[in-house]
Amino acid sequence: MPAPVPFDPQEIVDAKYEERPTREGVTTKRMICAACDIACSVVGEVQKGRVTKIRSSDNPIFKDNICMKGIVAPKGLAHPNRILHPLKRVGERGSGKFEQVTWEEAMGDIGGRLKKIIAEYGPEAWAVSTSQWNTSTDHGLGRRVMNHVGSPNWISGVALCAGNTAAVNRFTYGWFPFGDFSSTNCIVLMGHNPRRHSWTPLYNSIRSAQARGAKLIVMDPRRSSSAERADIWLPLKAGSDAAMMFGWLKVIIDEELYDKEFVANWTLGFEDLKERVNEYPLERVAELTGCDPEMIAEAARVYATSGPSIIPWTPITDMQRNSTSGIRLQTILRSICGYVDVPGGELLQGFNPDIVNESTVEMHHVLSDEQKLKQLGSKDHPAFTYRGQLAFREPTQRVYGQEYANLVTGCHMATPSETFRAMAGEGEYPVKAFFFLGNNPLMSYANMPLIHKAMMNQDLIVSHEQFMTPSAQLADYILPADSWLERPWIHDMFGWMSTIRFSEKAMDPPGDCKSTFEFWKQIAGALDMPEVVPWDTIEDFYDYRVAGTGKSFADLISDTEVYFKKPAFKTYEKTGFATPSGKVELKSSLLEELGFDPLPYFREDPPHDKDYPQKMFTGVREDPYFQTGHRHIPEMRARCPEPQIYLNEKTAKAAGVAEGDWVSVENQLGSVKAILAVKDAMPDDLVRVPHGWWKPEMKQGNGSLSGAWDYSDAQLCRDDPDYLDHEQGIPHLKGIPCRVVPLAAEGPAKAASNAQHMEPAE
Amino acid sequence: MSVEQKKVRKKERSARLAIWMAARSSRNKTFLDRLCRKMITKATAVDPTKDFMRDDFVDNDQGFDPDELDRYQRGETAVVGQQ
Repeated sequence: MPAPVPFDPQEIVDAKYEERPTREGVTTKRMICAACDIACSVVGEVQKGRVTKIRSSDNPIFKDNICMKGIVAPKGLAHPNRILHPLKRVGERGSGKFEQVTWEEAMGDIGGRLKKIIAEYGPEAWAVSTSQWNTSTDHGLGRRVMNHVGSPNWISGVALCAGNTAAVNRFTYGWFPFGDFSSTNCIVLMGHNPRRHSWTPLYNSIRSAQARGAKLIVMDPRRSSSAERADIWLPLKAGSDAAMMFGWLKVIIDEELYDKEFVANWTLGFEDLKERVNEYPLERVAELTGCDPEMIAEAARVYATSGPSIIPWTPITDMQRNSTSGIRLQTILRSICGYVDVPGGELLQGFNPDIVNESTVEMHHVLSDEQKLKQLGSKDHPAFTYRGQLAFREPTQRVYGQEYANLVTGCHMATPSETFRAMAGEGEYPVKAFFFLGNNPLMSYANMPLIHKAMMNQDLIVSHEQFMTPSAQLADYILPADSWLERPWIHDMFGWMSTIRFSEKAMDPPGDCKSTFEFWKQIAGALDMPEVVPWDTIEDFYDYRVAGTGKSFADLISDTEVYFKKPAFKTYEKTGFATPSGKVELKSSLLEELGFDPLPYFREDPPHDKDYPQKMFTGVREDPYFQTGHRHIPEMRARCPEPQIYLNEKTAKAAGVAEGDWVSVENQLGSVKAILAVKDAMPDDLVRVPHGWWKPEMKQGNGSLSGAWDYSDAQLCRDDPDYLDHEQGIPHLKGIPCRVVPLAAEGPAKAASNAQHMEPAE
Repeated sequence: MSVEQKKVRKKERSARLAIWMAARSSRNKTFLDRLCRKMITKATAVDPTKDFMRDDFVDNDQGFDPDELDRYQRGETAVVGQQ
């Protein structure tokens, strides 16, 4: 927070401090937006029992944190194609045909079939995928039910977006830090490009920090808008983040710019690290990254000497062949420069002691060690699985007061690719039941052909959803989900930070839509274990969670927009770090125990394939959309009606394609269609493929899956060994070989007739 | 206590004050709450001509009409036969 400025006391005495005026018949609710995963505090205006407007908060702390996705939410969630009643599949899987049933009928059948699968194959034959953030959320209840049943096979998109970063950060200093934007002197963005309508609060924080003089360093192959505003822009090759950080470390160590006292007193493995860093002289780093050595050195000096500095989390480094090393190198840079747990640096906040956190709700202790070790991916890629994280139990208890810290829900997950292989019948044991909540798994992980095969091989698929996504089209049951407008919420910052916020319910859910709380309560009941979710209502559950504050949930929601924990810095001086040694482990004892290189390293690209001369990166979302969602909203779709790939003019010319052409992007795994946009901000031979494209108006069911087979980038995301990170088993999405070819005489894919689920004409 | 430790503790006290002010500001019920809110508002104010958060889409949003949303939800805006 910026320092207070002089003010006139009389001005305050005289001022009227009222909330923004509302029109007659309008009431307001303080809410947390879940249109994406940033969770902005907003205000919902309610008329005639429904939310008609979302606007930014009246609270100066949160003012202006709102984007177009939040603003259109009332219309997006009122869409006529919203699923309002439970649906049961009729015909073959993927037929696209469903009939309406009641929740009771659905749960009776689901419970019976799931119990049969568990009896036949074991509890590990049940896998669950949630997009924990935008389901907002399942409160840890999904893991709680699974842990009681005995299944460790929970997966989520956080496996390649923040959850994995949280898990890997623990190997170095035991927690996942959050940068202190309010008083930092330098911000480093690695491929990340927060904008007015994407990562809005982060954009706001960065611009505010720059306005008060903080420096900005951007590493990005593209000349992004953040790159244009940066003090230093390093246009590195896609996927070379880890190599770049080796270059920075080389400069910082050689020039002795690190915090010698902190390194001497609080770190282990500095000499080994130094030896590894010496393998990366700047000339080599320049070759690997494509950047000028002097610029690399200059950026490293600015980071190390401007301090305290921050390297905010970025999904980009999460999604690479060298992800574990890249994330570890970020942690090492923060550590040796002395930026951990200091004002203006990287804060290790821990849990809020007054709130029952989701890690506690999850009850990981009830799952036996035997079942934990069956978690898919544990053997080959254990970093974020139970096996990789179990050794943190004692240190986390020592420092943070409890054994299991499931930060960003990403610290005890199965590996997605291994889970889909098991579902497809290619794993170490069969998985035959698959549930997904607020999640479109077919398009949210790598290797869509494998995921499709996996889903077609299931005995039971249950989806808790708002809309008929391509994944839901393959389900046995689709149960209608409520939205963030229609339920209360405790937001615990994903177990990452200690601040807690509260969101009011603003309207009743339509039709038979129910919350994830209700979903898991009913599943527990259907499995004859109702005692696992003993609370009658979500409000009762929240009262249990906030009891430590001395207030009820209703009281808190009426008078507390944000509940803070008292800030403290350098708490490690009293407790040590939450690692086995109690110190910052530059050389990781736990990675070594797991059989991996305890120091970071850089795996170079596999041999060049001349048939695929370009490289693509994916995972990028357009501002009107979040992940695979929002394409049904006319106002959003009008802004971005078709998927677009970006190339620069030279590369487009070489590929024989021109602006506005429909093209095909292909690699060894699959191909997708898109319109070409020529952008001079793109470097040579790099292709930007947008994430998550399908068209809700297109034909449903196998064959088309509403255009997912035409447009979904997951078809290009490889998960063969060359394209997986060793330690985590997550895919390389930043620098995949591909080719762009013209699609002769191809227009936009035709919308086939499927009247029941078509969008209205607008 | 070393000079460095003193600096950190001073920053810690400032952060605690800032968090306390933010919490009070968030409540916005008493005079003290409003005083805190006023100070934070003032401290975070940006010159409108340089305000990077201004956006027509956000600033001019009027929301939706509840009856229109009801009709929309029932699919009544769809043109019959056009599906």
